[in-house]
Amino acid sequence: MTFSHFGALTTFALLVSVVFAIITKSEPREQVRYGIFVFICFLAAAVLVGWIMYPLPL
Amino acid sequence: MLKDDSPNAPFERAQHFTVGVGQPIVLKPQTNAMTAAACVGGLLVPGLGHLVLGRWVRGVLLLISVLLLFILGLGMHGALSSPPGPGELISFKTLNAFANAGTGLPYVIALRMGQGEGVPTAQTADYGWLFLVVAGLLNYLIVFDAFDIARGRKP
Repeated sequence: MTFSHFGALTTFALLVSVVFAIITKSEPREQVRYGIFVFICFLAAAVLVGWIMYPLPL
Repeated sequence: MLKDDSPNAPFERAQHFTVGVGQPIVLKPQTNAMTAAACVGGLLVPGLGHLVLGRWVRGVLLLISVLLLFILGLGMHGALSSPPGPGELISFKTLNAFANAGTGLPYVIALRMGQGEGVPTAQTADYGWLFLVVAGLLNYLIVFDAFDIARGRKP
């Protein structure tokens, strides 16, 4: 199975967000809002860390 | 008066909560047998604890999410850690196996089928390993959630 790094990251963020939303919140509307928030946070953190690491000589 | 949420707090048979603007929700604790069934079921199959407690949508979503993480992890050539031997108890392998074993029966079936050998040279092997570890750890959290529902602490 071939995944790009971003594809794997997005899939991971999506699935983990679903679980976090369900076990953290009680009401369906809250769960959806929190799930979307966590998903966006995952992606934003990955992009941010990516840019921070960009100038590093790796 | 603040609710005593400590482990030694006296057990209330029914708690009344109001979630959002809807009708008040009465949380009724399940029997000890039902609580145990939900926890053991959840440890064996992800989401089964919620299904046992009648939370069908949550149970199915949790089952799909954790199983997808696990299957994708295997598909990305992630390595499963088998249970440690007697001389390996204090090692990273023990932690790894504990995290993997959280998935329950899928972990056992994958090991029995010879899956999860891992291909270290594969481009996605590290991602696959992470998917497998997180799938197991998430399922432990899911079992705690099922326990809270069964004890009447959460709707």
